[in-house]
Amino acid sequence: MQLRDEQTTERARDEKAPWVERETLVEATPEEVWEALTDEDRLEEWLAPEVEIDPTEGGEISVRDGDQERSGTVESVEEHERFAFTWSRPGEGESFVEFTIEGLPGGSRVTVVETPIGPTGMAAGGWGPRFAGLRRALRRVLVA
Amino acid sequence: MRAPAHRQVDAVFDALADPTRRRVVETLARGGTVTASGLAAQLPITRQAVAKHLSALRGAELVSSSRIGRETHYKLRPQPLDEAAHWIQMVSAEWDDRLEALRRSLEKRRARSQ
Repeated sequence: MQLRDEQTTERARDEKAPWVERETLVEATPEEVWEALTDEDRLEEWLAPEVEIDPTEGGEISVRDGDQERSGTVESVEEHERFAFTWSRPGEGESFVEFTIEGLPGGSRVTVVETPIGPTGMAAGGWGPRFAGLRRALRRVLVA
Repeated sequence: MRAPAHRQVDAVFDALADPTRRRVVETLARGGTVTASGLAAQLPITRQAVAKHLSALRGAELVSSSRIGRETHYKLRPQPLDEAAHWIQMVSAEWDDRLEALRRSLEKRRARSQ
């Protein structure tokens, strides 16, 4: 049984199963989407009324919507393709947020995933495989 | 209301990040109320290891225990799992709203430039 667990973990590493995954199709090029995801002024048009961001790896992000505030760190910047950061509310657990942009004929697909990483998530060697198995376990238990 | 729920979700995620603990939870989900020895008999780990995992799960309030005679019986508490499921639903709805706003923002800009 332990063996089976390790095999599913191995598979999940490539699947990168998040807790939340949503997507939308937009009539815009990946370049236009990229600007909307990484430019402060553009982010304020859709993400929250007040956004401060340094869109480089290790840069800070701060998002304020009324009394709701989140802040974190930019983790991954692959121009026109992938943009990821961590964020959390004060005193709460961190989430990892990742956008992926895929160019399509006449537009783009924008996918976002959000996964809680918890206090030990990153230290233990990455959130993907751990939470892939966890989410499956949770689903099994919830339907049991 | 949100903050305690999020903390509990963190605790649940942490407790269940261990594959053996997930097996313990699955076994409890099937088995109703069991003892540590009963669990150890169904899992490829020692009774001591089972006790350690049960203690971690109790810390996340995923498991409750009661003493019957000389034995401690353990039971799954599904409520923290519901909290985790609620977190997933809530965050999904937030991203649906934000992505819709992103789509509108991009299309408005495109309309202006044409």
